[in-house]
Amino acid sequence: MNVQKLVWLEFKQHKSQLISGLLAITLGIAVIVGIRSISVVSEKAVAINLDNLGANILVLPQASNVDNYYSADIDAPTFPEEYVERIATSTIAGVDNMSPKLTRRITINGQKYVLTGILPKNELASKPIWQNSGLFGAELQASCGESPVNEDLGYKDEKLQRKSVDSLAMDDCMMGSSAAQRLTAKEGESVVIEGKTFKVAKVLSETGTIDDDRIFAHLHAVQDLLGIKDQVSAIEIMGCCNAISDGLLGKLRNILPDTRITTIGQIVSTQIQTNKMMNKVSFVFLIIIIFVGGISIGNFMWANVNERRKEIGMFRMIGFSKTIIYQMLLAKAFILGILGGVIGYIIGTAAAMWLGPEFAGLTVNAIPALIFISLLISIAVSLIGAIIPAYLAGKIDPFNNMQEG
Amino acid sequence: MILRVVSLNKKYQHIDGEVDALKDVNFDVNQGDFVTITGSSGSGKTTLLLTLAGLIKSTSGIILFKDFRIDKATDGQLSAFRKNNVGFVMQSFALIPYLTAIENVMLPLAIFNRPKAQKYNAALELLQLVGLDNRKNHLPKELSAGQQQRVAIARALVNNPSLILADEPTGNLDPSLSADILNLLKKINREKKVTMLMVTHSPAAAEFGNTRIHLQNGRIDNIFSKEIKMNLEAVIN
Repeated sequence: MNVQKLVWLEFKQHKSQLISGLLAITLGIAVIVGIRSISVVSEKAVAINLDNLGANILVLPQASNVDNYYSADIDAPTFPEEYVERIATSTIAGVDNMSPKLTRRITINGQKYVLTGILPKNELASKPIWQNSGLFGAELQASCGESPVNEDLGYKDEKLQRKSVDSLAMDDCMMGSSAAQRLTAKEGESVVIEGKTFKVAKVLSETGTIDDDRIFAHLHAVQDLLGIKDQVSAIEIMGCCNAISDGLLGKLRNILPDTRITTIGQIVSTQIQTNKMMNKVSFVFLIIIIFVGGISIGNFMWANVNERRKEIGMFRMIGFSKTIIYQMLLAKAFILGILGGVIGYIIGTAAAMWLGPEFAGLTVNAIPALIFISLLISIAVSLIGAIIPAYLAGKIDPFNNMQEG
Repeated sequence: MILRVVSLNKKYQHIDGEVDALKDVNFDVNQGDFVTITGSSGSGKTTLLLTLAGLIKSTSGIILFKDFRIDKATDGQLSAFRKNNVGFVMQSFALIPYLTAIENVMLPLAIFNRPKAQKYNAALELLQLVGLDNRKNHLPKELSAGQQQRVAIARALVNNPSLILADEPTGNLDPSLSADILNLLKKINREKKVTMLMVTHSPAAAEFGNTRIHLQNGRIDNIFSKEIKMNLEAVIN
């Protein structure tokens, strides 16, 4: 028997009460971890987007959300595929390449994937990161030279070197690395998507974006499969950089008035702002958790001290000093802090991993370093909350163990 | 002499003015004495016991335990004094409900830096002394009132105190169990030479001591000293 064991035995005795004491701090930590996990991935995605995005103009339906470039087309409203032709046949100069897409979430064997219909040559031509997949044919060269102005817009000219895909059969598909892994699909094998059998023509290299969860198939096959005939949800355009500066976006808006036309730079800027906002939100939560979590722990500890007045009086009577009483209660708060930090981290990470792909279109992985921050915050808040109850516990008189006569 | 009390006074502040809980109390206790403190309700018995334990600050006077001035000591010094020298036995037993009998006995040793096995063996030995080693893993609620008080007595002895302060130790027990407990205390007093100060309102229990201090309105009105020979039948009667 020692003081640590005594604390532990008492702790186990009242474990059901702990749930209410832990609730606020655990949820607070979970929210901070969840937001931080998503924003860290989102920040990385911004960097990846800047480096690897092929197309530099995105045509979307008017009602679509452009907070995240990679997920902007997912489940977006549609517009006619005929718009591609409208651009191609217009007199607008500076459109080097176009890639119409139709994207929808689908479920295969109970797991969610993103199915994207592409017109192969155009789509793959605009993705430099796929260049090492071995699918590509002739190299395309961007028609504009390097310009510092273009870097300000969010892309680098040297990245505008593309290769195109020669063909993608109507029953072929290509899989992002994560999707292939989850489906245990290999090149040359078959996979059933929405009742139709596709042959896996290629498994793509990992990109670190939601593209890893995508399955690409021919646009017209996807349209047939989803019953959305002659409609697309986005058109990626590789525009000549100088042409963008000369008002290409405005010209495109003139011929496609019911669409939303934006550049990668604008989308990435929106994403950076969202990330900043998420960081601010997590800071606000940090402040809230210090107050609510601290008060909650303090309230729990004070209730515990009141319930154990006779017991603490007994400890004092048999020689436990005030310092030992403080230590016992702060040790208890320390254990609460550890539990709150660990459980909060697990819940927050799990929520981010589950909700990240669902709502932000991002594949979120656990960030081990966050557990140390979670523990630090949780333990500090618990100890702060327990200071006053511990101080008052040291002042408890042992008199109520004696019978006045 | 183990304990000396000189001109001890304790006043309480009350809405109606000052109340004298203890007034000019003087007595000495020798090592191995069994002192009983009697008096009517409100006479100051428990106040005296708490003051001797350093749990209440006296208003004036001297309390000397060997060479240690209890009346002058700081809170930390008093905690150390109780830890090393005093055992307590209470009317309400004051056992910790979630600790087993042997864990309750070991409780005062929690603040001693000793090997775990040494603490365990010391507690087990005392449970054997009070006849409860076969109940060592029982929780207090699984023990009878008499058994609980025996565990409390074992706990009071585990730190090898030279002084045991008992506050109505038989107050919650029926007469036969009371005799049992009083005989146990007497046995410990004789065999271990532990000095006992026991507050009681029972005249029969008071006869167990070799010295009896009677309090009246906070003052000592009588100190009896005599050889005691009491058996179980006398207590019951």
